Amino acid sequence: MALIETENLSFTYPSGMKPAVEDISISIEKGDFVVLTGPSGCGKTTLCRCFNGLIPHFYGGKLEGNITVAGYNVAKCLVYELARHVGLVFQNPENQLFALSVEKDVAFGLENCGMPRDDMRKRVDWALQMTGIEELRERAPHELSGGQQQRVAIACVLAMQPEVMVFDEPTSFLDPLGAQKIFEVINDLNKELGITVILVEHRLDLASRYANHVIVMNEGKIVLDGEPHKVFNSERARLIGVGIPKATRLYQILRENGLKLSKVPINSEEASQFLRKILTHD
Amino acid sequence: MSVFDGLKFRKVSSPVHNLDPRVKFFFVCVLFVVAVMFFQLLPLLVLFFVPIPFVLVARVKREWIRSLKGASMLAFIIFFFNFIFNYIYNEYPNIPSASLIEYSVAMTLRFVVLVETFSVFFLTTSPDLLGLALEQSHVPYEFCFAFTTAVRFVPVLADEAQTIMDAQKSRGLELERGNFLKRIKNYIPILIPLIVSAIRRSLELAEAMESRAWGATEKRTNLYVLRLGKTDYALAFTSIFMLVVAILVWRFVPIPPLSVILSFLQL
Ligand SMILES: Nc1ncnc2c1ncn2[C@@H]1O[C@H](COP(=O)(O)OP(=O)(O)O)[C@@H](O)[C@H]1O
Ligand SMILES: [Mg+2]
Repeated sequence: MALIETENLSFTYPSGMKPAVEDISISIEKGDFVVLTGPSGCGKTTLCRCFNGLIPHFYGGKLEGNITVAGYNVAKCLVYELARHVGLVFQNPENQLFALSVEKDVAFGLENCGMPRDDMRKRVDWALQMTGIEELRERAPHELSGGQQQRVAIACVLAMQPEVMVFDEPTSFLDPLGAQKIFEVINDLNKELGITVILVEHRLDLASRYANHVIVMNEGKIVLDGEPHKVFNSERARLIGVGIPKATRLYQILRENGLKLSKVPINSEEASQFLRKILTHD
Repeated sequence: MSVFDGLKFRKVSSPVHNLDPRVKFFFVCVLFVVAVMFFQLLPLLVLFFVPIPFVLVARVKREWIRSLKGASMLAFIIFFFNFIFNYIYNEYPNIPSASLIEYSVAMTLRFVVLVETFSVFFLTTSPDLLGLALEQSHVPYEFCFAFTTAVRFVPVLADEAQTIMDAQKSRGLELERGNFLKRIKNYIPILIPLIVSAIRRSLELAEAMESRAWGATEKRTNLYVLRLGKTDYALAFTSIFMLVVAILVWRFVPIPPLSVILSFLQL
């Protein structure tokens, strides 16, 4: 069975007139790097909240269909039980850090679980090292830059050693370089530790190179779901207004003008490789 | 940058800062009790000098003096009322006696001693240590969490208030205009966005806490633990010693008023 599976999942907020997400059936395998994208307000954050049980337990509202994560039925499992298996990193780094030192913040989840101090110390050190913020351990989180804060937030979730980590637009408050660094950290977690990653992102040019699975949503529904090259090259992705990678767009324009590359590129490296091939052939 | 700067705690290290907050608090309480025990000028004068070495070692002289200055108005009021009421009640219409003045000064000094000890305590105790001390004194964790979170978010909210103020001013809001009531009304366009944003913030915070296994077990553990060191024991014993001496003096030694001592010295 897949690590995350949903079947005709729909959810309506208590104050909502119509479902925020509707009829979602997806399946995410262990070790996947999923990029979840779609226009604002299409229900990405709502779906993320379903993955770790904030929906329905924190938000209330009406949940229909099935969702299982890491073998747990989300509707029947408490948020703190799921917290050990699914980590959620939020959009705004400022409001998810609440301790007075980085170290203490990273330990927060472990403290809640009642982990003995010595084990906790090792875990915290490990999480700080994996995210490259060991030298910030004594600092106050609110005095750090946005990029540093977001790495602290990642360390906080990582310290729990979850099987799945969900990132809800972790870079929307960051500059491109800071975003790049965050993506690299996330990629390391996926490739080195085998953590399943779900990354909600608009900056597809930067993010898509790491993904092996892309899901596009629109108006609460899944529109496209599959391998990145296929998804990005689909006409629908462009029409919804998803900012498909420029390399893919270049491919489409070249093809309209009669130049067909051998494969669809999704990043600049692939594009230059395929172009070179064609140019040297001619 | 603004008036809110005083709310930020700067991380400093000194022997006083590194003391265990529980012991420090005990010391403050002892000073407090002793100050309330005596109403004569002489012992209160002695107590007045006790916190000063701590201030010097911790190098917080400037902040400390500022907090004393802040309390000076209140001290003056205390002196004034003690003097006036006791005079009217006991000595009117005679000329005020030396002992009345001495008594009023002593009462004022008692207040000053309380202010100076508490100010040393709060100037030299970092909020995270204080939160930790609360936790290890079996205060319910919810309360400790609320305390540290409040400390952490006060500067953030202060920054936000400043931003909102600037934004509203740039739209033509005039804060310093009109009579007293009008001025209070002027602050409504600042308060409402501030409250809305604070509520939104607290919801996000609750979400983040839930996602990190808040409430998973009754027996929460803690990354840090407070351990008493040599200086902590030294301070604890000093406090107990002070308390014992004070009780003995209070019980067995009659303390002459300062005027008597002075006239005795002149002879
Ligand atoms: N807490 C909430 N209460 C009620 N409705 C909400 C809440 N959060 C989001 N919504 C609604 O759900 C829909 C999807 O929002 P969201 O999941 O935040 O989209 P996205 O993250 O893709 O921008 C929107 O129409 C939004 O108005
Ligand atoms: Mg969102």
